[in-house]
Formats: sequence, C-alpha cells, structure tokens
Amino acid sequence: MNARVLSYFASVVLVIFYLLPIYTTVNVSLKTTQGLVAGPITPAETLYFGAYVEAFSRTGRAFLNSFMMVLPATLISSFLGSTGGYAFSKFRFKGADILLFLIVLGFYIPPQAILIPLVKFIADIGLFNTSAGLILTHVAYGMPITTLLFKNYYGNIPRDITDSAEVDGAGVGSIYRRIILPLSLPGFAVVTIFQFTNIWNEFLFALTLTLGESSQPVTVAIANLKGTTLAAWNVQMAGAMMGALPVLLFYIFATKLVVKGLTEGAVKG
Amino acid sequence: MRTSRNLLFFLLPATILVGIFVYCFAAWTGYLSLTDWRGIGHFGEFIGFSNYESLFQNSVAMNALVNTLVLAVAFIVVTTAWGLGVAILLEMGFKGAGLMKAICLLPLSFSFVVSATMWTWMFAPVQGTLNTLLRMLQLGFLCQPWITSPSESLFCVLIVYVWQFSGFVTLIYFAGIRAVPQEFLEAAEIDGASTFQKYRNIVVPLQKGETVGVVTILLFYALRVFDLVYLMTGGGPALSSEVLATYMYRVTFNQNLFAYGASVGFLLFILAMAIMIPFLYLTGRGR
Repeated sequence: MNARVLSYFASVVLVIFYLLPIYTTVNVSLKTTQGLVAGPITPAETLYFGAYVEAFSRTGRAFLNSFMMVLPATLISSFLGSTGGYAFSKFRFKGADILLFLIVLGFYIPPQAILIPLVKFIADIGLFNTSAGLILTHVAYGMPITTLLFKNYYGNIPRDITDSAEVDGAGVGSIYRRIILPLSLPGFAVVTIFQFTNIWNEFLFALTLTLGESSQPVTVAIANLKGTTLAAWNVQMAGAMMGALPVLLFYIFATKLVVKGLTEGAVKG
Repeated sequence: MRTSRNLLFFLLPATILVGIFVYCFAAWTGYLSLTDWRGIGHFGEFIGFSNYESLFQNSVAMNALVNTLVLAVAFIVVTTAWGLGVAILLEMGFKGAGLMKAICLLPLSFSFVVSATMWTWMFAPVQGTLNTLLRMLQLGFLCQPWITSPSESLFCVLIVYVWQFSGFVTLIYFAGIRAVPQEFLEAAEIDGASTFQKYRNIVVPLQKGETVGVVTILLFYALRVFDLVYLMTGGGPALSSEVLATYMYRVTFNQNLFAYGASVGFLLFILAMAIMIPFLYLTGRGR
C-alpha cells in the first residue's frame, strides 16, 4: 500500500520535472508582452500568436537554410552509411575489423579537437558560410554512426541470400542494388530520422562555419534571438518552440523509429 | 579481383571522409598546438610544448578542466542512477507507464539551444519559473539565484543535462529489465525473496551490458558539453561554469589564440580517447 502511494507520488513529481519547462515555454510563447507580467506559470488568458509571427519574421530565412542543409546532409550520409555498412556486414577482407573500429571511433572525437582545421579547411575550399560547407561537414562526421547502424541492420539479413547471389555471379554492386537496397527501407527510416535529428539540432559547427543570415541554420538563429535584448521572452520562447517542432513531431509520431535509432546506436556494438 | 575492386569503391567514401575530417584534422590540431600559429597560412613556427606549459600553468584553464571532470562524473552518476530508478518504478507497474516513458524521453528531442532557452527562463532569478513556483507554494525562502550565482551555475547545467538524458537511460534500462528471464524471478519468489531483494540481487546485476552502453553514451556527451554552458551561463558567472570546450572556443574564436586553442582542443582529444577507447573495447563496438 505504502509503496504504491510512494510510487504514484514519485511519478507525479517526475512528470512535473519533465514537463514544467515545456509547459512554461509553450505558455509564455502564447502570451502578449503585457501578459508576461503575470509570470510564466499562470496560464495565458488568450491564445495570442503574435510572438510566433515575430519570431518567424526573424528566423524564417534560417528555417529555409536549415531544411536546405539538413535534408541533403541526411540523405547523403544515410546513403553512404548504407553502402559502407553493407560492405562491412557482408564481406570479410583483410583489416576489416581495424578499419571499422577506426571509423566508429570517429564518432567519439570531441568536435573541439578538429574545429580549427575544419574551419580553415572549409574556408580554403571556398565553402565558408555556405550550406554546402555544412552539408559536407555533417556528411563526414555522420559516417561513423550511419555506417555502424547500417552494418548492424544488414547483419540481420541472412548471409545465404547474398551468398547464393554471389554463386550466381552477381558482383558487389549488383547484389547491393538488387538484393540489399530493396530490403533497406526500414533501416533508412531509422537512420534518416536519427541523422535528421542530429543535424537539425547541431549548434557548434553551425556557429563556427556560418556568418550572418544567408546560410545560418535555425539553432544559431534561435541562439541569436536569445542573445539579443530586443526580443521579448515570448518571442524567444516562440522561436524555441518552432525550432523544436520538426524533431518533436518525429518523437511524437514516429516514436518507435526514434527509439530504435537511439538504442541501436547506444547499446549494440 | 573484381569483387575486391568494387568492394573498395563501397568502403572508400566513409574511409576518406573519416580519414580526412577526423584523423588528419586531429593530427593537424596536434601539430598546430606545437606552433605559434596565429591563423595566417597553414602552419606556424614550431615552438615545442610551450602552449601546453602555459595551458597547465593557467588557472582559468585548470579550473575549466576540473569543471569538465566534475560535471562529467556528476552527470554520469546522477543520470545513470536516476534513469535506473525510474525504469524500476515504471516496471513495478502502474497504469500509464507507456505514456510516462514517452514523457521522460521528450526532452531528448530538443536541441541544446532550445533547452538552454527553456531553462534560462526556468532559472531566471526574479521572473523565472522555479522561483515563481516556490513563491506560489509559500516556499519563497527557498528561492535561489540559480545561474546567476557562481556556486550554483554548474549545478544548474547539471540539472538540465539530467533532464535531457535521464529519459534515454530509463528507456535502455526498461528494455534491459524486461529482458530478465521470468524463470529467474519465479525461482527467487519460490525462495521467498522480497521485491527489493529480487531487484537488488537479480535484476540490477543483470544490467551490466546496459550500464556500460549507457555510461559510454553519457561520457560521449559529457566530454563535449559546449552548447548548454555557452548559451546558459557563457561559462560564468566569474568562470564558475567554464568547461574545456567553452574555454577552447573562447580563446580560439574570441581571442584569436589559435595555437593555444589547438592545445586545449588536443587535450580534450587525448582525454576523450583515453577514456573512450577502453569503454569501446569493453562494449565490443565495431567488432
């Protein structure tokens, strides 16, 4: 009995802990500037979308930049992860273990360890402050995890299928095209959502590789909104909610795929 | 022969990209840290380890190193214990465990930029949510200066980190607990074990693999903590929440001390590799 009461109490406290910041943010984003005086907890009296309109007028360009950058980066890194993961999963060759280990280890490099050469390199090849520069960067640093995720995914496809194709004389490329790729859709669903989330939410590369409005993604635009004293709290909160929305939709409507990416990336080796 | 040539073609993109962007760049950083490079040209004058000498004699840098380690240890211990506790709570079963799991996971969907915006408002000293809530509950005497106080700023960063990642830990442990064979638990019940004993002696010890996985991923995030600190406290007040990653950014991009910044970045690299490689070996990753 007591344990039951205690566990209900704990759950209520937990729900408040997890949801209070989200509630406050949504609540404040719907308030008028005068309404802010009542404080962040008192519910907004009327639904006012002015803060969203203003936030969008300041960050609209950044949303476009983000989509134009995140979608290609996601697709390219997922596709290259699929081809690489296939090679590691279905073929034994000399040095495969060590090569895969070195590629996966790349996932764990702190960005500060490569940041200075990265900025220099991207500037040298003329891609500083361009979406292409960010796409290239995200594709490169996405390789370790997309390769690993696809290697694990293809590990579940029975070897016999590819082996019999090999006996029939099919080459590496045609096995991939004819057998592996058609079976890859669920894998792509998981990996593209995983990559979209990571790249959409990324901040440090966006901060150091762009300058000004022309190619700045959403994360930097929201951070700037927060940094200026010009934007009232309700506008900052509206900006944050809009920036969170695309990924939030995945978490709400594609929970299973999100969870799969998270757990596959975390626990399995 | 053809097979091996075509195979190479499949392996090349990942190998080249990771080779350049990870390993060449890390080596380049390592080299720059031994020079006096000021951002012009590609390589500076070789000056040996003097950047590292200044680094280890600099009290601001050492403070950032200590903060990084303190935050990492606190984050991993608290988040792991918290996540496991919640997973057990959910597993003990009450209606709405599924919904609860989804709620716990929600914060992970936010970028650090978004969560920093949310929590800056939570922690704001006058109008902030936490202090407002305390006053509403007639607990005004508990109001804190939160991120504006040097003694609380790092703790505030820790709270936000726990908020974002504990749901993920819960998710992993929840699946791990579910995977415990039912016969083990039934056998223990026949022997008269209490619920507490069942968890203490059977369920929790079986979560070794989950724990290693969880700690690995939390370490990964702990060592690269940048966004939250940069956006919530800026490393302050009075450098109280400065970590190596924000320090590196500040000296490099605000003070243009590129070579010195490279030495900070390379220190982080050594630190990360020294900690991560044994862990990756343990989890058998990439094999």
